Amino acid sequence: MAVQHEGIAGSQPKLPKGFADLEPFVGWALPTEKERLTARETGNIEELQVFYDAMMARLPAIIEHLKQFPVDRMPEDTERLFQMALSLIEVSIAVELYRRPEVINGFDRARFSL
Amino acid sequence: MKTIMKERRWVEKYPELGTGPVAAEPCISPEYFELERERIFRRTWLNVGNVCEIPERGDYFVREITVANASILVMRGQDGVVRGFHNVCSHRGNTLAWDEKGKCRGYLTCNFHSWGYDSAGQLKWVPDEANFFDLDKSQLGLTPVATEVFNGFVFVNLDPSPRENLTQYLDGLDQQLKGGDFDKLKLARIYKIDEKANWKIGLDAQNEVYHLPFQHRYIMPDLFLANDKGMVRVLDVTFFNRHSLYSCEMNPGHKPTPLETAMMELQRSNATRCRLPVAGGQFDFYLIFPNFVLIFFRGPTDDVCLTYNFWPLAVDRTIWEIRFYTAPARTAAEALADEFSTTRNRLVFDEDAVAHETVHTGLKSRAKTQLFFQDEEIQIRHFHKIVEDHVSLARGA
Repeated sequence: MAVQHEGIAGSQPKLPKGFADLEPFVGWALPTEKERLTARETGNIEELQVFYDAMMARLPAIIEHLKQFPVDRMPEDTERLFQMALSLIEVSIAVELYRRPEVINGFDRARFSL
Repeated sequence: MKTIMKERRWVEKYPELGTGPVAAEPCISPEYFELERERIFRRTWLNVGNVCEIPERGDYFVREITVANASILVMRGQDGVVRGFHNVCSHRGNTLAWDEKGKCRGYLTCNFHSWGYDSAGQLKWVPDEANFFDLDKSQLGLTPVATEVFNGFVFVNLDPSPRENLTQYLDGLDQQLKGGDFDKLKLARIYKIDEKANWKIGLDAQNEVYHLPFQHRYIMPDLFLANDKGMVRVLDVTFFNRHSLYSCEMNPGHKPTPLETAMMELQRSNATRCRLPVAGGQFDFYLIFPNFVLIFFRGPTDDVCLTYNFWPLAVDRTIWEIRFYTAPARTAAEALADEFSTTRNRLVFDEDAVAHETVHTGLKSRAKTQLFFQDEEIQIRHFHKIVEDHVSLARGA
C-alpha cells in the first residue's frame, strides 16, 4: 500500500474546516508530481477507487474552496487539500481510463523524466 | 463543424507530394544521419527555448545541441538584448557555463583560469594578463551564434553566416501566428523522454491523428472529430515552405469521464488568462522544420501552448523534450485545471514513446523497406520530402 491513511480520531485536523471527512486520506497530500505518480503506480486499484470516490464526492466543495486562494499563498491546510486534489487527477488515470494502476503499454520510468 | 469528411482530399490540394510509398532507410541509416547533421542541424534555425526562461538582465540558459556538437549559451545582456554564443572560453576552449541555467552577475567566469565575460559576451577579465603576448581582449569575446526571437521563442542557427534570417526561414508561418498573448506565456512543465528511436520516427508519430482512436484507445478514443466510421479527419493542412500545420476540431460527441466533466466546468468558470491565434479548430500542430513542434489547444476560457523539441543524440537515440507554456494560474483552482491538462497529456507521451521505439526496432530489422502514408498522413510525406531535399543537396545531387 503506497499511501498510509493517517486520520486518527481526536488528532489535530490537517484539512480546512468542512473537510473532516477527507482526513483519512490526508496521506495523499503529496507535493510533487513524481510522488503522486509513484503512489498511483504502486497502489492497488481497490484503494485507488476508494480515494477517488471519496474525493469525487467532495470535488465541487474542494473547487469552491480552492477558488478563494492565490496559488502561491495557500494556508498549510488548504495546500494539503490542493495536493490531494492533484492526487485525484493522478489517480483518475487508473480509475477512469486504464482500470489498473499503471499505464497500459507505458514507457520505461527511468527514461521519462518529470 | 467545418471539417470536410471526403476521402483523399489532401492529395487533390497537394498533388506534387505524390501518393507512393516512402523509403524507410533514412530512419535507420547512420550515413543518412551524418548528412542530416551537416545539412540540417548545422544550417537551419533551431528552437532552443523561450525568453520567459531568462526574464532578467544577466539571466542565461545553456542548451546542448549534441547532434551539432555544440553547447549554446543564450543570455540576456544588461542592455536587455537576448544573444546566443558558443559556450566555449576563448582561452583554451573550455566549456564556460556548466549549469543548465543561471545568472551572470558581473562576469561569467571560466572554471579553468577564470577568464571573465560580461552578459554581452565580451571578454573583460584575464588573470595575469600582462604575462600574455599581444592579447586583444576586445577581439576575444565569446563566439556569437545567429540568434533571433519569434513570439518569445528563441531560435539559433549554427551556420556562421545563415542564408536566411528567421522571418525568411519561417516563410509566412510568422504571419499566421501574428497576435495572441504570447508574452503572457510562462514555462509550466518540462518532460524529457530518452528514446531509443530515430528523431524522425518520433516526430512522424506525432505528426498525424490517424493513430488516436487506436494507440490511444484507453485515453482518447473519441476526442477528435472523426467521420461516421470513427476515422479522424483534420480540418486543414497548410504548408509554409519547409514547415507544416494541421488543425483539428474536437468531437462534439466526445464522452468525457466524470473528472474531465468537472474540470471542463471549472475551466469554463475561470476568467480568461491567455488567447493564442488558433487556426479555426481547437487543436493546431505546427511543425517548424526540422525538429520543433508548436501545439495550441483551445480551451473554453484559456489556450494552452505545448512544444516538442526532438533532439537527436544518434541515429537511434533521441531526447523528446516536451514543454507546457501557460499564462500562470492565479488561483489554486486554476492550477488544478492546468494540472489536469498536463497530466492527461502526459499519458499520451507515455503511450507514444513506447511506439516510437517499437517502430524503430521494426525498421532496424530491414524486414520492411517502405513506409505507406494515407491521405491524412500527408504532413509526414511533406516532412520526409523536405528532409530529403536538404540531404540530397549534401550529396551534390
